[in-house]
Amino acid sequence: MMTYRKHYLLATIASATLLPFAAAAQTELTLWHMEQPPHRVERVQMLLDEFNASHPEIQVRQEPQNWGEVYAKAPAALAAGIGPDLLFAIPDFTPVLKDMGALSNISDFVAELDEAHDFIPSAVEAYSYDDGVWAVPLYNMSMNLWYRPSVLEAAGIAVPQTWDDWQAAAAALTGDGSYGMGLPANKQLYTDQTVYSVMVNGDAAEIYNADGTLRFDNPQTVEAYRFYNDMLQYSPPDAPSWTWGEAEACFASQACGMIMQFSVISTYETQAGGDADDLGVAPIPSQSGDEHNAIAYANAVMLLSRDEEKTEASKTFVRWLLQPENYGRFLNMEPGLFMPVTADGAEAESFWSDPIVEKYRSQIETVIDNSQNGMLFGFTSGRVFPAIGAISAQNVLAETLQTVAISGVDPAQAVADGQTRMQQLTE
Amino acid sequence: MKRPLRWNLILVAVLLLLVALIALPFWFVLTGSIKAPAEIIAREPTLVPQSFTLEHYVKLLAASDYPLYMMNSLIVASVSTVLTLALAIPAGYAFFRMSFRGRETLYRAILLAYAFPSIVILIPLFGIFAKLGLVDSRVALVLVNVAFSLPFAIWLLRSFFAGIPTEIEEAARLDGGAPFTVLRRIMIPLAAPGIAAVAVFAFVTAWTEYVFASVMILSDAKRTVPVGFSGIIGQYQIDWGLLLAGASLSILPVVILFAFVGRWFVAGLTEGAVK
Amino acid sequence: MKSPKNILPFAFIAPAILFLSALLIWPLVQAVILSLQDVRSVGTSGSWVGLANYRKLLTSPMFWDSAWLSLVWVLTNAVLQTLLALGAALALNQSFPGVRIARTWIVLTWIIPTVVVVMIWRWLFSTSGGIVIPVLMQTGVIDQPVGFFAQPNMAFATLVFINSWRWFPFITLMMLAGLTRIPRDLYEAARIDGAGAWKRFTRITWPLLAPTLGVLLVIGTLLSFNVFDIIWLLTAGGPAGGSRTLPVLIYETAFKSYRMSEAAAIAVMATLFLMAFAVIATRWLARPPEAR
Repeated sequence: MMTYRKHYLLATIASATLLPFAAAAQTELTLWHMEQPPHRVERVQMLLDEFNASHPEIQVRQEPQNWGEVYAKAPAALAAGIGPDLLFAIPDFTPVLKDMGALSNISDFVAELDEAHDFIPSAVEAYSYDDGVWAVPLYNMSMNLWYRPSVLEAAGIAVPQTWDDWQAAAAALTGDGSYGMGLPANKQLYTDQTVYSVMVNGDAAEIYNADGTLRFDNPQTVEAYRFYNDMLQYSPPDAPSWTWGEAEACFASQACGMIMQFSVISTYETQAGGDADDLGVAPIPSQSGDEHNAIAYANAVMLLSRDEEKTEASKTFVRWLLQPENYGRFLNMEPGLFMPVTADGAEAESFWSDPIVEKYRSQIETVIDNSQNGMLFGFTSGRVFPAIGAISAQNVLAETLQTVAISGVDPAQAVADGQTRMQQLTE
Repeated sequence: MKRPLRWNLILVAVLLLLVALIALPFWFVLTGSIKAPAEIIAREPTLVPQSFTLEHYVKLLAASDYPLYMMNSLIVASVSTVLTLALAIPAGYAFFRMSFRGRETLYRAILLAYAFPSIVILIPLFGIFAKLGLVDSRVALVLVNVAFSLPFAIWLLRSFFAGIPTEIEEAARLDGGAPFTVLRRIMIPLAAPGIAAVAVFAFVTAWTEYVFASVMILSDAKRTVPVGFSGIIGQYQIDWGLLLAGASLSILPVVILFAFVGRWFVAGLTEGAVK
Repeated sequence: MKSPKNILPFAFIAPAILFLSALLIWPLVQAVILSLQDVRSVGTSGSWVGLANYRKLLTSPMFWDSAWLSLVWVLTNAVLQTLLALGAALALNQSFPGVRIARTWIVLTWIIPTVVVVMIWRWLFSTSGGIVIPVLMQTGVIDQPVGFFAQPNMAFATLVFINSWRWFPFITLMMLAGLTRIPRDLYEAARIDGAGAWKRFTRITWPLLAPTLGVLLVIGTLLSFNVFDIIWLLTAGGPAGGSRTLPVLIYETAFKSYRMSEAAAIAVMATLFLMAFAVIATRWLARPPEAR
């Protein structure tokens, strides 16, 4: 285990003491991200050390934050003028910061990077609205169905394609202390993601009409909620309090036959024996079985500095990060979770040469394939309206599920109420 | 005094219940932190560990600045304690040993502060601290913690100061002691158990505070244990082993501290607190 | 000319008063100002809207649900903590080997960070490795695993339990203080008069402990009203709003819905509720002991 922290501290002390003597022009940048698990922080630090060494005029420092806190903290810190210069975040967060006037249009910069690395269009789309591009896409995450081939085989079932298959498979795998399909029902981002993953596979991807009015309340959405609620009977009883971690733990301990998750690879590797041949990943079943969709997040870096010099330094850092030889190592801070958003990144040697990636190569290729059909609620078909920031911050999708699953309200009524709630948050 | 057998049985039952309620959870946390990952999440939990590993601690110490968080927490909690005492003792002395106009009103005002919904001031306070350049500083945490423990601290000192016989104070004053000297030489030593209790209360309040620390502190190097701990909880994967190790380590310092001062704290509370 | 004697008490009190004013009163004033505007996310500016936010609140079912939940939260916590603490205090007031150790370490649950409390119970109640469910199943209390945070009432009850678990030992010590104050010879006298244990409790312990209990109830109420982190970290106010007490609603409105001013209005209302309670309650607390 690397003691990178100590290096980091030493470096900080060194730069603090040496700074007066070094070139006065050194630009210091603060990077916030929510990739808090220790091994991710470690990987980011490794890259920062390299960057800082090769760019003596710039010093980038990371401050990992927590999703639970950052909604309160980032706007407050930015308003007080002590926020970060760079922030890795999801599309939902951008409108909030843009509303504060913390972001500026960087379409030229994104075009320049697109020229060099060729972005996946949908990744840029999630940050393009109001006549501008507001962040640089950095890494993709998309939801998949994870299972163990041996378990499905023992139960005599195939990988589910349609919703009917899926329900039958979940039923077959449930019993004797195990649960067929681990699904959350918490009022939390994970549930937003799993609910929406069901919605996009039931033809209910669009939350907005083209004119910005809400179309959440429609028969397809109701059907998706009804199905999700049916599936919950094959999920452990504590699922209403789950976040990502509990789902993975359930899968790792074999209590859950299947779960929906971005990636389970690192948990599977460290806590479940790590037999690569017995880890299956498939697209999320769709209602008809024809085309499979998934929720996908193109995470991006937002440039928040108001200072010309710092903005330039930030751009230098982003350019460096997207270089294929660095980019792959960056994505592999969590192998199997972060997918490339650039064409040359998808082929980068630095991405595929990681030992874990090599071991789970077939699974990761499937994940990349699945992510091609990625969508994100509120950011589909170019219909992006900033009010989605509050809707996703309040987890209205998950809240609506709770109305159905916990309060026992009829899905049609719950979805109608959900739309009313969205309306209120938008006003 | 002899108790009948029946009462002894009830007493034993209550005590066993207390042990189960308080000691058992800690037992599971401490032993869990040295179990292998598979045993931690096993469907049949084990009372006595079947495996032994220090990997969670190794990982915790290598991958997070836990010792640093601990140091920050100790600094913040100690300074908060000192400042609370520095403000509470004179105020308590004045409230409970002196008579002056408006005493009743002021005392009530302080008690009202105790009834303050703390979350109310989170937002405005962040703005104020930002203007003063105090955001992302341990000073901010000290100020907040003292504000929360001070009203209770003053109230707690009440019966200690009130319980000291007037004659002692009078005698000291007749000997020519200035009020401040009387406070320092006579009152503080006599109220020592109460002051110890207040100190522990202030320390624990600061040690356990999470909400303000999580919002006010931006940089990793200034995080306190609760915030650092919430950081390793992780949102995408839960590493129970890491968490249990983190929990064990964050319990440890207060337990050590309490091993030394616990008796005074309890004596302090029970000798005078409630009248 | 004022004699120094009159100034002195104020000199002693002034630092504390000034400190509390700067850290509590001034931010409260700011919150009131904020509540009269229409500020959305932190750092944006708004315009004056008068009492509009308050009017909206008074007609908002979510606010009243939340206020009701807060009331239930405070009451259930007070009752559970008092019962647990009373039992523990009566036991620890006896003499038995190890009583000193027990009296000292009972507060273990109170001296650890709330975040750790939350984590411990989340794990103990979980279906992956938690001890509670297997124990309940083996003893036949339940016949299949349950989700402790899955149903609103269950989640609420579980939160009350966890919060009381953290606080009752502290209350126990305060109660012990009251108990040790009861003269032993009263019991001896009663015993000689042939009073049974129950009678001794109802005739001596209870009446003499009642004032202490009153004080502790007030303190417990104030302490538990403000509990935010335990609820937020375990259920975030859910499921289905089942644990959305006023502090949770305030935080959610400010930082999730980005309605700063509305959050401030709720906060001001909550302050008024609490102050009203405190003003009444301090009639007990505020009596300076044997004013001299």
